[in-house]
Amino acid sequence: MNLFLSQITAIVWKDVVTELKTRELFSAMFIFALLVILIFIFSVNLSIVKASEVGPGILWVAFLFSGTLGLNRSFVMEKENGCLMGLMLVPADRTAIYFGKLISNFVFLTIMELFILPLFMIFFNIDLLEHLAPLLLVIFLGTLGFCALGTLLSSLASNLKTREIMLPILLYPILVPIIIGVVRMTGQILAGEPLSEMMNWIGLTASFDIIYIGVSIMTIDHILEE
Amino acid sequence: MSDNPNPSDSAIEVRQLRKEFGVLKAVDGVSFDLKRGEFLSVFGPNGAGKTTLIKILAGLTRPSSGTARVAGYEVAEGRSEMRREIGVISHSSALYADLTPMENLIFFGKMYGLDHPKESALEVLEDVGLAARRHDRVRTFSRGMLQRLSIARAILHDPSILFLDEPFTGLDIHASNVLKEHLQTLHNNKRTILMTTHDVSCGLEMCDKVALQVMGKFAFFEDIKDVDKENFETMYFDAVRNNQFTMGIRPH
Repeated sequence: MNLFLSQITAIVWKDVVTELKTRELFSAMFIFALLVILIFIFSVNLSIVKASEVGPGILWVAFLFSGTLGLNRSFVMEKENGCLMGLMLVPADRTAIYFGKLISNFVFLTIMELFILPLFMIFFNIDLLEHLAPLLLVIFLGTLGFCALGTLLSSLASNLKTREIMLPILLYPILVPIIIGVVRMTGQILAGEPLSEMMNWIGLTASFDIIYIGVSIMTIDHILEE
Repeated sequence: MSDNPNPSDSAIEVRQLRKEFGVLKAVDGVSFDLKRGEFLSVFGPNGAGKTTLIKILAGLTRPSSGTARVAGYEVAEGRSEMRREIGVISHSSALYADLTPMENLIFFGKMYGLDHPKESALEVLEDVGLAARRHDRVRTFSRGMLQRLSIARAILHDPSILFLDEPFTGLDIHASNVLKEHLQTLHNNKRTILMTTHDVSCGLEMCDKVALQVMGKFAFFEDIKDVDKENFETMYFDAVRNNQFTMGIRPH
């Protein structure tokens, strides 16, 4: 168990060190998310529609689309120079590789989201501070589900020539329950509803998080094997 | 080298090993034994199935049929214990280009569960003569340095068996000689080595056993002392020429 945890930590450490040196992933995700929000700002007339009604959808489109960029890089980085082969040769449970990559993806995406939130608040003139705790819970649940499924599918897509196209095509349809859940919950939070009003959505999103992680644990061994 | 729970004399035992990709037989009924500390050089034209054989023995891909035991462990079972006993050097370096050699080796050391990954990393870097470049990014390394760093990665956990897939490819004469010295040292340290190569003189010079793989099969497998080197060279070049005909390439 100790080796399992230290292997997960080693993968996260390696990804963080690489990112600190290259800054490829964060800068690409952040700029893309910012551009998505700016495009919507100019295309939506906020004097006609309420920012709190269109905002949740726009926020999650920005998170998910930019997150897909990060996921695409996640296993492609491992394929360069045959690094994935090197990982497959170590005496590690394949699920350690999956969890290491999942945590890395989750950390990078969450940091990007935390940078985007204040900008979203300014551009849409919405006060997120009074709803911060429930909003962070929803972001945690949504990001976890997205990364859990995305990490699995990016490992699958990394073997394909058309990986950049295949990942979103595979990912978004299966992610629909989580997307609906987090967008609805974000809307309710911005409308000032208490968390207790959305327990069903929280339950649904958390259930899908668990399902995606469970399916990944069961299938990652076969997906990583050539 | 770590203690093996199976005190068998054989490091590698292969019986009727087959790997098929659709109609293509990449490995076709290969059988051989390699004792502990022996060095086997496997020659063969491109597409003969040498890399696939190494991938099967390293547990990277499953055989279609047949059995292979490495360090006493059944390869198809994919045991972690077997992976502790082997090191692999392939065409690609399996190193992260944006990390330094130290960072790469410390990472792999942690993945292998070494007690002192930093000390082990420094030790193997000194062994392969790259200690002075330990803080440079791997991206800046030449092909020869990458290959030496690959050796460092492969021996970091002190494996008893090494699989080398065409390690001399793309190296200049100096880098080849340096690599040859390293391999000789590893062999002298009683490591079992299976190497695929196109470099006939080098492969024959270092090995204890020789094999020629053609169209997935072992067409030749002998002790080096029973091999007439000139005859073997002729046989190898014939195999390569015939393979070129098969692949539709006209020989000069």
